[in-house]
Amino acid sequence: MATRNTPVATGDAVQETIIGARIEVRGRIEGQEDLRVEGRVEGAISLTETLFVEASGVVLATVEAHDVVVSGVVVGDVTAANSLTLEPGAKLVGNISTPRLIIADGAAFKGEVAMGEVPAATRERARVAARREAAQRTKGSSKAAPAARAEAPAARAKAAKAPPRRPSAASRPAAAPARGDDDEITVVVKHASLKRGEAPPDEAPAQRPARKTQKKSTKKAAKKAPKKKAKTARARVPARGKRRVNRR
Amino acid sequence: MAHTVIGSSIVVDGEITGDEDLVILGTVKGRISLRENIIVEPTGVVEASVETATITVNGSVTGDIQATERAELKTDCRMVGDIRAPRILIADGASFKGNVDMDG
Repeated sequence: MATRNTPVATGDAVQETIIGARIEVRGRIEGQEDLRVEGRVEGAISLTETLFVEASGVVLATVEAHDVVVSGVVVGDVTAANSLTLEPGAKLVGNISTPRLIIADGAAFKGEVAMGEVPAATRERARVAARREAAQRTKGSSKAAPAARAEAPAARAKAAKAPPRRPSAASRPAAAPARGDDDEITVVVKHASLKRGEAPPDEAPAQRPARKTQKKSTKKAAKKAPKKKAKTARARVPARGKRRVNRR
Repeated sequence: MAHTVIGSSIVVDGEITGDEDLVILGTVKGRISLRENIIVEPTGVVEASVETATITVNGSVTGDIQATERAELKTDCRMVGDIRAPRILIADGASFKGNVDMDG
């Protein structure tokens, strides 16, 4: 990935697409090369290569890519066929589906993590779906902007349907122990996701409700823990108390 | 700054707005609204209504262009749609179908 600091007017082969800091894209971006977002993207991103969300970048989109590296802000579900990296300062709100997840110190994340071999399959399906969509679009009149806008929500809806496939990651519990040892970070993250998974059994489909359930669950957990301690303490108290009374 | 690039294998379907130069080597459908310069490279395909300060077309544009300063159609470009700009340059070899409005 060659970084470019000047506009390219030469027409030579560029292996990287850049959405500049003062650019906003609403809709769908798809392609077979790296995408670097320094500005703002809303809608959906589907790549076969790497998505970089720079520190100044804001992505409010459903993301599918081979690798995703986040230094900025991402709100939306992320499916990475290979890996997802949250750099220091990164903020991610949404559900993650990837075999490798790296979260650096200083990164913020809220959502569900699914680690399995699914993403590759979903990516294939997504690619096929994208091709079909593209074919349909080219058949229809793609000239009119309103039509394109109307399609964007449909694409989003389609993307939203994708997560339910994840349960087919039933292979995940089986695959997890086999893979476990080689990647410490993966284990750490898995641990984190387990903690989260214990308390709230159902992760709400929308992201904001998900926050609420998490908060509630943490409260519940907080309440439960002291109660247990209190009970055990009570059990011991009479015995000790008697002694104390005797002492005093 | 000023280095937004839509690569040759990228398809953007929707709306691009902003305040920065834009170089298009891939495909953009929908709408483009900028206050800076757009360059559509030979591999670039734009199926969109375009609002910008200046636009230079080497590739293909289908849709209306409204430029506040200048619209330039280079050799071997293909353009279908109306152009509205105070200055319009069409090079020898450029293909163009549509209306021209240079009233500014």
